[in-house]
Amino acid sequence: MTQIVEVLPDLAPFESFALKVADLTLSRGDLRLVEGLNLSLSSGDAVFLMGANGTGKTTFLHALAGLVRPDRGQIMLGDTPLDPEASEWIGWLGHVDGLKPNETVRETLRFWAGLQGERKPPIMPVLKALDIGHLIDRPTGRLSRGQQRRVAFARVAVANRPLWLLDEPAGPLDQRGRDRLAELVAWHRGRGGIVIAATHQTLDWPGAETLELIR
Amino acid sequence: MSALLQVFAREARLAWAGGGGAAGPAAFFLACISIVPLAVGPQAERLVAMGPGIAAIAALLAVVQTAERLFADDASDGTLELYVLMPVSPALLALAKVLGQSAATLAPLPFIAMVGGIMFGLDFAQSALVGLALFCALPALALIAGFAGALAAGVKRGGLLIALIAIPMMIPALIFASGAGRAALEGEWDRAWATVLLTLAVSLGTMALMPFGIAAAMRARTG
Repeated sequence: MTQIVEVLPDLAPFESFALKVADLTLSRGDLRLVEGLNLSLSSGDAVFLMGANGTGKTTFLHALAGLVRPDRGQIMLGDTPLDPEASEWIGWLGHVDGLKPNETVRETLRFWAGLQGERKPPIMPVLKALDIGHLIDRPTGRLSRGQQRRVAFARVAVANRPLWLLDEPAGPLDQRGRDRLAELVAWHRGRGGIVIAATHQTLDWPGAETLELIR
Repeated sequence: MSALLQVFAREARLAWAGGGGAAGPAAFFLACISIVPLAVGPQAERLVAMGPGIAAIAALLAVVQTAERLFADDASDGTLELYVLMPVSPALLALAKVLGQSAATLAPLPFIAMVGGIMFGLDFAQSALVGLALFCALPALALIAGFAGALAAGVKRGGLLIALIAIPMMIPALIFASGAGRAALEGEWDRAWATVLLTLAVSLGTMALMPFGIAAAMRARTG
């Protein structure tokens, strides 16, 4: 934790907000994945979505991001129902990294941060926090799988969005990578952000709750 | 607006860096117009009459050939999800993406069409008009290809789906672009210029409407 605080800039905390999911029902085709799910989170919270393959963890994340329309129920950010404008709130890490092999780490992070309206994104501090500062000018296609995952995670961190939705964030990471991820998540929660992560692994995020999805 | 310029520039850069830029479509287009005389015979009158139409058909096929690449990689590497979640207009983002990639890959086609026109026996002015008509048709062809490419993103044998969706929609641009060249060939320059303007109108209309379709298809592929 000390190292992260040292390298990351002192960014302003997020405004306090709440995420409420009420009676959420989700299907994929004819298959009912989630039924009557309720969840209430406030600034600083973190939740692991756990469950066997096919229980709807990714679909639930997609619904939170507005990519999937629920069959029933509501997702509220503060007092407002989730709508396409939610993209202003969401930092998204999908199960694939969204990297282009011919683009350098710097180009990648600068492009996505710029598209999200970040004029001076803290690219280097975040990369240093993830132990990949020295790779900033390397094409992402020449990085290892774990390093690519860290770059994808850096893209989420530099975008300054309060709600992080992470799909298998630590999949290819080694223990050191998982520690760095945990520290960055703690930094984000310390600023008042919320983190929801679908994962099969047990991650050491102090105070994080677990939501088990069952078919 | 700067965000859209960023998308345009990035897509153009990636098309050169990863996809070989204009080399593929240019080679395809050149091959198409070069082999026609071998197939139909060397009679000059026949080749002159066919020149504008062959150029338009070759351009259409070259554009369709690039369509699968427009969104397939984005769908498989997670970029499509990220684009859909960006706080910018999805339609404008789709427009910038398709035009950026098309500017990098299709830009030489009007020049090759001009050279092809001369090869087929058209004079310089007629060949230049064929190139210009094709230049005016390219945005429409590219956006229609983009729409089909977005619908087929992540679908096995998407190329077949793209051809079935895109080619019928490209027919108006094909007719006007080749019609302009034919009118020039017949010496009816007023009709030729009017047809170029009609081609441009088809492209502008497509630019106004098609990005909404592409954006909807992108969203549908991420759900």
